[in-house]
Amino acid sequence: MNTRPPRSALRACAAAAGIAGVAFAGEPPRGTAEFIDQHCASCHDDDQKKGDLDLTALMFEPTKASNFATWIKVHDRVSAGEMPPKKKPRPEPAELAAFTGAVANALTRYERDQDALNGRATRRRLNRTEYENALRDLLHAPWLQLKDRLPEDPIAYHYNKIAAALDMSHDQLGHYLEVAEFALRDVMAQQVERPQPTVQRYYARAQRTFTSNTKKPTNEPERMVIPVNGYVSQYELLGKKGPMTVGDADPATRDIEAFVEIASQYDSYRMWFDAFNAPLAGRYKLRFNTFSAWVGPSSQEPGMPPRWWIPDLANVMPSQRTEPVTVYAETFPRQFRLIGKFDAPTTPGVNEFEAWLLKGETIHPDAARFFRSEQGFWRYRNPLATEQGSPGVGFRWLEVEGPLVDQWPSAGHQLLFGDLPLREISSAAGKVPAVIEVVSTDHAGDAERLLRNFLQHAYRHPVAETEVQRFLSVAKRVWEKGGSFTDAMITAYTAVLSSPQFITLQEKPGALDDFAIAERLAFFLQNTVPDDELRAVATSGRLHDSAVLRAQTERLLASPKSRQFVDAFTDYWLDLRKINDISPDPVTYGDYYLDDLLSESSLEETQAFVTELIRADLPVRNLVDSDFVLVNEKLAAHYGLPPVAGVALRRVPVPAGSPRGGLITQASILKITTNGNSTSPVKRGAWIMDRILGKPPSPPPPNVPAVEADTRGATTIRQQLDLHRNNPTCAGCHQNIDPPGFALESFDVAGVWRQRYRGVDAAVPAEVGTARLGQRFAFHYALPVDAKGEMPDGTPFADIYEFKKILLRDEAQLARNVASQLVTYATGAPVRFSDRAAIEKILGRTQKNGYGFRALIHEVVQSELFLRK
Amino acid sequence: MNSVKAPSLPARRFAGSFVATSRPLSRRHFLRGAGVLLSLPLLGSMQPIFARAATGGAPTGPNAKPRRFLGICNNIGLLPENFFPTGAGRDYVLSPYLQRLAAHRNDFTVFSGVSHPEVDGGHPADVCFLSAAPHPGSSGFKNTISLDQFMAERIGHLTRFASLTLGVNVAQGVRTLSITRGGVQLPSENSASAVFRRMFVQGTPAEVRAQLTKLDRGQSILDAVVDQAKDLSRSVPATDRERLDQYFTSVRDLEQRMELAKAWEQKPKPVVHYAEPVDPATPKQYMEKTKLMYDMARLAFETDSTRSIALMLDSMNSPAIDFGDNHFVADYHAMSHHGKSEQKLKLLKSADELHMDLLGGLIADLKAVREDGETLLDRTMVVYGSNMNSAQTHSTTNLPIIFAGGGFRHGQHLVFDPEHNYPLPNLFLSILQRQGIEAEKFASATGTMRGLEVA
Repeated sequence: MNTRPPRSALRACAAAAGIAGVAFAGEPPRGTAEFIDQHCASCHDDDQKKGDLDLTALMFEPTKASNFATWIKVHDRVSAGEMPPKKKPRPEPAELAAFTGAVANALTRYERDQDALNGRATRRRLNRTEYENALRDLLHAPWLQLKDRLPEDPIAYHYNKIAAALDMSHDQLGHYLEVAEFALRDVMAQQVERPQPTVQRYYARAQRTFTSNTKKPTNEPERMVIPVNGYVSQYELLGKKGPMTVGDADPATRDIEAFVEIASQYDSYRMWFDAFNAPLAGRYKLRFNTFSAWVGPSSQEPGMPPRWWIPDLANVMPSQRTEPVTVYAETFPRQFRLIGKFDAPTTPGVNEFEAWLLKGETIHPDAARFFRSEQGFWRYRNPLATEQGSPGVGFRWLEVEGPLVDQWPSAGHQLLFGDLPLREISSAAGKVPAVIEVVSTDHAGDAERLLRNFLQHAYRHPVAETEVQRFLSVAKRVWEKGGSFTDAMITAYTAVLSSPQFITLQEKPGALDDFAIAERLAFFLQNTVPDDELRAVATSGRLHDSAVLRAQTERLLASPKSRQFVDAFTDYWLDLRKINDISPDPVTYGDYYLDDLLSESSLEETQAFVTELIRADLPVRNLVDSDFVLVNEKLAAHYGLPPVAGVALRRVPVPAGSPRGGLITQASILKITTNGNSTSPVKRGAWIMDRILGKPPSPPPPNVPAVEADTRGATTIRQQLDLHRNNPTCAGCHQNIDPPGFALESFDVAGVWRQRYRGVDAAVPAEVGTARLGQRFAFHYALPVDAKGEMPDGTPFADIYEFKKILLRDEAQLARNVASQLVTYATGAPVRFSDRAAIEKILGRTQKNGYGFRALIHEVVQSELFLRK
Repeated sequence: MNSVKAPSLPARRFAGSFVATSRPLSRRHFLRGAGVLLSLPLLGSMQPIFARAATGGAPTGPNAKPRRFLGICNNIGLLPENFFPTGAGRDYVLSPYLQRLAAHRNDFTVFSGVSHPEVDGGHPADVCFLSAAPHPGSSGFKNTISLDQFMAERIGHLTRFASLTLGVNVAQGVRTLSITRGGVQLPSENSASAVFRRMFVQGTPAEVRAQLTKLDRGQSILDAVVDQAKDLSRSVPATDRERLDQYFTSVRDLEQRMELAKAWEQKPKPVVHYAEPVDPATPKQYMEKTKLMYDMARLAFETDSTRSIALMLDSMNSPAIDFGDNHFVADYHAMSHHGKSEQKLKLLKSADELHMDLLGGLIADLKAVREDGETLLDRTMVVYGSNMNSAQTHSTTNLPIIFAGGGFRHGQHLVFDPEHNYPLPNLFLSILQRQGIEAEKFASATGTMRGLEVA
């Protein structure tokens, strides 16, 4: 657990202490001087100053961050028995306890005094994900995409929820103003009449972006789409002008016409249902009629070698296997949102799902398993082609039903404008779409009524009447200067959504009131504002009751919105947000390069795994090893597990002998902790120590270059590191950092099991593969992987299997880390020295069932760390 | 190609918001209603605008020299065999194309062996020319902020326009060089006359009024929220009050920016001795259009109307080119797939040479303008290049890049590994730092450009 607060926080504490007139004079804690004199001073005095530490002169100056941290270090190293060092005489146990007790008391007392004045946590603003979720919920508009319009949030203690880091600037405030206005106008009704949902079919054969791929020269057959009638190829239509469909004249035939794709989309080979653009933001039902297909191999020409890797466009047949299709909503050009995945069935059929679409978005399906063919001068080869042919996906049509309107005007519009009538502005005649305005015959009365209601929903605490008047005056000023009622209200609402009471969490020192508890709980477990029920419970004054709080915690966790918690928490705890930051090197790892299905599936796996830990309240040991994994076809193959079919994740048992199971051997984690073309035991080791074991290593000393992998293959990264580790200055830290990384050396940059490294040593015969891009790529097997290591306490392990067993010996430490991560995330403040006792209490209450994940969440919520500012 | 003769054209209705007054939001959404807060100069560095402390090289100090940037991408590239010079360092030998710039040899640096890491996918890579976002051809692609917008966010408030996004024959809605923080493409303005009017022709009183109204509404919002913050700060403990103090400062800084924006609205636009241009009638007049945009860029810098311009030369979308001497070529793009056809190669070469001559003209024009005893070129950094090495093969490594002006020690050929390219974003970081922007990172830059020194 990381107990170092950022400097600015400590400066704040120091300032606070000054203001309150509390002085912490320099004397070391009472009763420590004698111990230091006897047991420490021989090395840590002004003469020796070992480790740059002179304990005889060390004052107790808790307002100084470095001084406070030094005393914590003294306490921890003496408590752990690391100091005095083994070769020196041991102090008597009672003497030792008295010393550590005195130091602990002084440290604790200082932090408690600070808590009484300011609280553990500092008032913080919402981060951009919270702001997006808050506006989506307040305005009943789940489609709003606001996060990327706001500046990226600073991070402290791994999270984007820490007060000391979440600064305000004019830039930030300016963006709130813009984003709030954007959202408000987007939620307003855009037409006077209730939109009528339609059901409309869009035939692939009639889409311009599909048909344009039938007219190209046929020297790149993989980049053609094959017209079929049923399964009968209509290759004779290729290269021809004229319509590609029978159209309205023959609806029965039109329904079974399709285009078959062999490649996934890349470069200029892009097809989508271009005739559809969502007329309004809203919820839509999408039905895809597709099928998997098989395209025969090109036959041998007389006197020529066989060319089976080239598809025979005249020969299309059913396939034995389904094919994954990823569906993106696209704001042209090229702004993609992943909205769904399905399996194209082996016989033509419909897959249906619902999605929230933005106005103007179109639907872009991608046959995700196929190779990405690059348009080029040299020929590529389809890596999925066999002597029996190549797999394909046939697209018949997309049927769109929507927008699905539950109420009109929408709940969001009604929150803003109630039942006031709408009209089109005539002065904007000819404008498409028409400008819509709200009609009010009593500006002052309507505005006051609407604002009062809006504030009660927007603010998470009871609203004072002065607030209503404050924002009413903003609206008044607009219409008094000739602005419209609509603009006046939008301006006032923009002010509300940029005001401190909306953008910051409101907590007072001491025990939180019910509204503050509701706010913390909702931002913790749903990453958004409290919902109606939680607000009602808070208003009734019962939320601080332990049983009621427990019931609400259960309810929030059971809701689909808890997904927002899992996503936001794992994005930072486990760095999942970085899943696409580094891609595998195309030269050495062409087989993983540009594999979106792999990175999307591995991200989904880890999110689903943590969700499962919470749902089933599974013991914390599952982080290290579990008897199940959640995989789809792609991941099962990636992990060398028995095959499963389809794109959906499902829970399967881990077969005996597999190194999988647990978080630390998942593809996402193994990918996030590499450099793209090489693995680094230091990087992976430090990550595991920090995020899983809760023992963050010290930062690397300045001016020491990182050890770079040598991909020529003559030495392994481990051999290079050994040189490093043999230097006693380095060894001290690296004996703690490296072991987990060594155990994980059995996994390559994409998390695939390996026994040898890949290198570029030309002296070794090349292994030739066909990359995802269809290009040939060659790598050379280098030296074998050595995954053995030794824990800091000397326990040896031979491989990942033994390493996992060693980690599982200390489940309490795994739980301590999870509890600390949850507390930091939930309260916006790090776990400090004096918070350790509360963490131990949480562990004590959850130990019985092996520290179940949900039990840990409950005990965090019930703890004083959570219930006090 | 120095005088522009083009038939007259009916005035083109100004359609796109090519002028980023610093709003990174998609403008489409604002078209349907009168936005309350359009065009706030909201972004920028943390430094107060009216800071009067001597800040030396900082971009906002009173003694700071204005430093400009012009990024030009010709998205079909240049024939590499005629472009890349031989020899390295200062004694390199000019290539046939660079011969056309021989008069300016000491005003530019040419690079070999540079590219944007992991930017692949051929043609679609042009939208990444200034952003260096990886894998533009891939399905899950998400673009990131471009260099011109990055600087617009930081120094855009110093000039009337934070940035200009210009284009020649740009396919609207498909391509642009300007990408906002959220990955949104800003539309390119293809009409030189529209750019000119926006910079140098006064808005109607109604337009000015509408803009001032919007700013006024913004200020009334700030009045309300700062009052609330004051009320709150009376009852909060010290550490919380420190956070609220940040809020006060934010409001104050934003108010200053709104005042400044109001001042810009009311300040007369600069007068230039340059007749309002007439837009060439057809995309065939590609070279005339390019010359006009170069003129607009030069005028914008000369009047300090902006310090950041991105210009996309969309050769991909240029169906045919008029070479001005009865050479009409059908489809610039098709021509680039020359397949070693001698005739096509010859025509491509002529097109490329015209590009080089226009660039030479721009450099000469920038040198001819004086500002505080220096030339405008000394204070203008021009990046000219392409997202592809060769349109024939669509390869996105070993990009042809020329970097001119800005007061660097030029006259050299910086050569890097053709197999493992040197990251081009490093040049972008050098450009940002030269502008006095305190940036440590940009896109996939690993540091500043090796071998590039300030003169």
